[in-house]
Amino acid sequence: MMLPFLIIIPLFGAFSMPIVSLLGKKVKEYWAVIISGATLAVSAKIFYTVWKTNEIILYTLGSDSPIGQGVKFPIRIVWEVDLFGALLALTIAFVGFLAVVYSLGYMKHDTGLEKYYTLILILELGMLGIVITGDIFNFYVFLEIMSIASYALVAFRNDTWEGIEAGVKYMFVGSLASSFILLGIALLYGQYGTLTMSYLAIKIAENPTVVAKVALAFFIGGLLFKSGAVPVHMWLADAHPAAPSSISAMLSGLVIKAGGVYAVARIIFSIFNPGLHAYLRAFNAPAVDMNVVGWVIVFFACLTLLVGNAMAVVQTDMKRLFAFSSVGQIGYILLGIGIGILAYGTKAGELALAGAIYHIVNHALIKALLFLVAGAVIHQVGTKNLNELSGLAKRMPLTTFSFIIGAAAIIGLPPLNGFASKWIIYESSAMYNPILAAIAVVGTVFSLAAYTRVLFTFLGRESDRIKEAKEPEKSMIIPMLILVVVIIVMGLLPWQINDKVMLPTARMLEQLNGEYIMALLKFIGGA
Amino acid sequence: MKSDMGLIVKTMARATIPLIGIFGAYVVSHGHLTPGGGFQGGATIAGAGILFIIAFGLDEAKKRINKNLYSALEGLGGLVFLGAAMLGLGVAFFYNTLWHNGPILNGEPGTLLSAGYLPIMNLAVGLKVYTGLMSAVFAIALFRRWRK
Repeated sequence: MMLPFLIIIPLFGAFSMPIVSLLGKKVKEYWAVIISGATLAVSAKIFYTVWKTNEIILYTLGSDSPIGQGVKFPIRIVWEVDLFGALLALTIAFVGFLAVVYSLGYMKHDTGLEKYYTLILILELGMLGIVITGDIFNFYVFLEIMSIASYALVAFRNDTWEGIEAGVKYMFVGSLASSFILLGIALLYGQYGTLTMSYLAIKIAENPTVVAKVALAFFIGGLLFKSGAVPVHMWLADAHPAAPSSISAMLSGLVIKAGGVYAVARIIFSIFNPGLHAYLRAFNAPAVDMNVVGWVIVFFACLTLLVGNAMAVVQTDMKRLFAFSSVGQIGYILLGIGIGILAYGTKAGELALAGAIYHIVNHALIKALLFLVAGAVIHQVGTKNLNELSGLAKRMPLTTFSFIIGAAAIIGLPPLNGFASKWIIYESSAMYNPILAAIAVVGTVFSLAAYTRVLFTFLGRESDRIKEAKEPEKSMIIPMLILVVVIIVMGLLPWQINDKVMLPTARMLEQLNGEYIMALLKFIGGA
Repeated sequence: MKSDMGLIVKTMARATIPLIGIFGAYVVSHGHLTPGGGFQGGATIAGAGILFIIAFGLDEAKKRINKNLYSALEGLGGLVFLGAAMLGLGVAFFYNTLWHNGPILNGEPGTLLSAGYLPIMNLAVGLKVYTGLMSAVFAIALFRRWRK
């Protein structure tokens, strides 16, 4: 069984880093590369296993069965990995690996690097834990691991005022959001007496009280904070520009997905399953009205994709522009999830969820690429102000090429991967409600305007600042080119990927027959 | 920087630091039998260390506290914890194989050597908490002065 190694390997790497770093300067960097590479291999193997068998892996910590002796309910921590979790684990390990390789060149002028590599491995560990866990308190612990590591990494360059300012802001806001989630967990535990997600789903369906609804409200509130949805996105616009670029790539590509939209989808579809509650309502039994939840998510999604993309147009700081664009893209993902809840069980709902999942993966790759490009520009030229930069194309051709691919992909030009996922989200939202599709298209127009402005930075007349600029070193170029290749290859096979990976993932997340619960129930037997 | 503390404080610290340390070690090593455990005991021992820094001053502490050693020991604590969790990997991660069939540590419940990997994990956590808290407090104490 490979699953525990997804946690063991990064944990081992992080714990051994202070000892390994005594061996010399270069050793710790290679150690981080080896550890994150091994994690990537394990996550690829797990993804392949889950994809091949199309079954949920349920792994129990501490024993071979989650059920206690002599009782009929789960007492142990379980890890429950469906395709959604496995797909995100693969994405996290892939982007994390590239970010570590990129750091070799990018971070070499900084000090305290053994802490940096420890923290980056811990950040990866926290995100991997979030996507594999099936226990709500375990989820909270991993969420905090991820959050605390990212607070420290945002403020890593603590000799700059913006690093400290953004770190403090992110920490205060993020701790508040985490405490919401902890409060929600405490309420659910007090009411139902269990922390296992799939068992909690059964318990809530048996007796959906007001407490369950309040807890759901706390979860959604806290997790929208973490994903950077609009009324509470202000930390993101400061944190992403202030962090080192390799960290921005992970924050924007992964952290807001794993700790934000993934967790929203997991809690809504696995604990408060819309199908289960619609079924209960059909028999006039008490149930949570999931349509309300769906509309709340769609409302914030529309707000997010309009405000995020519109704010991106007016930025003059390159990384701040990318950060606001991330907010906008989170809007699309939330829109897909929201329609997936509202149109649960129909073709449109399934398509919307598939689109949301597809866009999570695509945006992780594209935004990682864009932040790595921004990092290369900052590293070589020393400024990220768009007004001072122009005409980089001749001095840094590979970087410019990577940027053009990334920008085209995020707007959604057809031969690249962003097209398919956005198209599916437009299509499914048009099937559900044309007004939502119109709002989504308006968001994309803003996004197009924002990236066209940056394009002129790269292609315009050469400015004085960049006369001396040249390409960054290989360890920074290669991760960017790998991402470019992946984006192009994924863009050439959009519908194959959608049919083979994203639709099965969406079906498994929807769990029309309660597969997530059944994976646990088969241990209890009889049910 | 010279210590500001007087003779009485220093003498009392000499007397109480070993007592706090021993009590902390007791809390850590009896974590599976009495209230407390790795975190509580480790924090107690760190309390003794903080008393040392306050009573004898930063210069004395600088001579005795080695940053690399503390950071390596903190890593070691984590590694021991992870290693104990991996012992039963044949059945499951965190499977308590030392309790079910392991040597020595599967004695009569209620005695010191009874809880499988728990005493090992308590010691590891205690070490990690002590070194981690000490490094954090010492690093803050060494931080740049109020005004350059």
